[in-house]
Amino acid sequence: MKKLLIAAVALALTGCAANRGLYEWGGYDGLMYQSYKNPEAVAKSRASLAAHIALLEKGGKRVAPGLHADLGTLLLQSGDTAGALSNYRRERELWPESAVLMDAMIKNLESTKSKEVQS
Amino acid sequence: MKRMVSLVSVLLAVLLTGCASNVVKQDLSAFQAAKPRSILVVPAANKSVDVDAPAYLLTTLTVPLAEKGFYVFPIHTAKTVLEQEGLYEGEQIHNQPPAHLAQMFGADAVLYVTINQWDAKYLVLSTTVTVDFDYRLVSKDGTELWRANKRMQYSPQNQNTGHPLANLIAAAVTAAIERAKPNYMPLAQMANNDVFILGPTAIPNGPYQKVQ
Repeated sequence: MKKLLIAAVALALTGCAANRGLYEWGGYDGLMYQSYKNPEAVAKSRASLAAHIALLEKGGKRVAPGLHADLGTLLLQSGDTAGALSNYRRERELWPESAVLMDAMIKNLESTKSKEVQS
Repeated sequence: MKRMVSLVSVLLAVLLTGCASNVVKQDLSAFQAAKPRSILVVPAANKSVDVDAPAYLLTTLTVPLAEKGFYVFPIHTAKTVLEQEGLYEGEQIHNQPPAHLAQMFGADAVLYVTINQWDAKYLVLSTTVTVDFDYRLVSKDGTELWRANKRMQYSPQNQNTGHPLANLIAAAVTAAIERAKPNYMPLAQMANNDVFILGPTAIPNGPYQKVQ
């Protein structure tokens, strides 16, 4: 009987969590919010997002839609073109739906880079 | 023993009814026909007086839509690209033909949100925070797939300490904290979860959500 009770409690507690999250977000929404709210927090948000993504990749877990791309844009805005490019490429690899946008971003960065080399 | 049995049956009843919802389904035939895989979330049009509201709201929309199984375009990247095109304001962006935006990003659908209200009303000893949003999802061919409105309100309960003066002080402290920094984010998140996932307006699952 006690076992049944425990099982029922466990079920009741987890039952509604059946549609458990698809992704581990690592506080992505909060990090973006902080970066909009306080421009001085951008560097911290960028570092936290990078650390979270690195952890997921290390564990072989799927990185949620948009995380690589937004990290790429944050890196670009801090002057790290190489970092931006590798994150845009990773977003494109993981999410075929991002192809049009990521190809445009990558192409744009590469042409800027080659112009810099020429000048 | 008898008590245990009734406890088990109560728990089972909670379990069985907990996730169910009796809802009047809205017409989702256009949505189901379009079968969008990806959603572009653009900055909201703002009818509130808080100029920061669109950027803040933007950060709350990715998670519920992606968890529903859609590819959601990176909000910050999309916002930056739109700004490079000279599109800074939500109103301006909402006036673009959906087909144009969808093509620019390669999106199947575009989500437009209008902020009707995003404010905090300060009474002497308490604060009421309100958000009110219109949501509209439009397919890349311009067809409207889904729409909803959501209003959420929060006013903290005065803590009752059983002592009138202590109650007054507690309420004053709460009001002071909220006056300094009303937090809209939990309300915005609740509104989004409700319209997309939990409430009667819930959208169908996207391609990455396996279980229907």
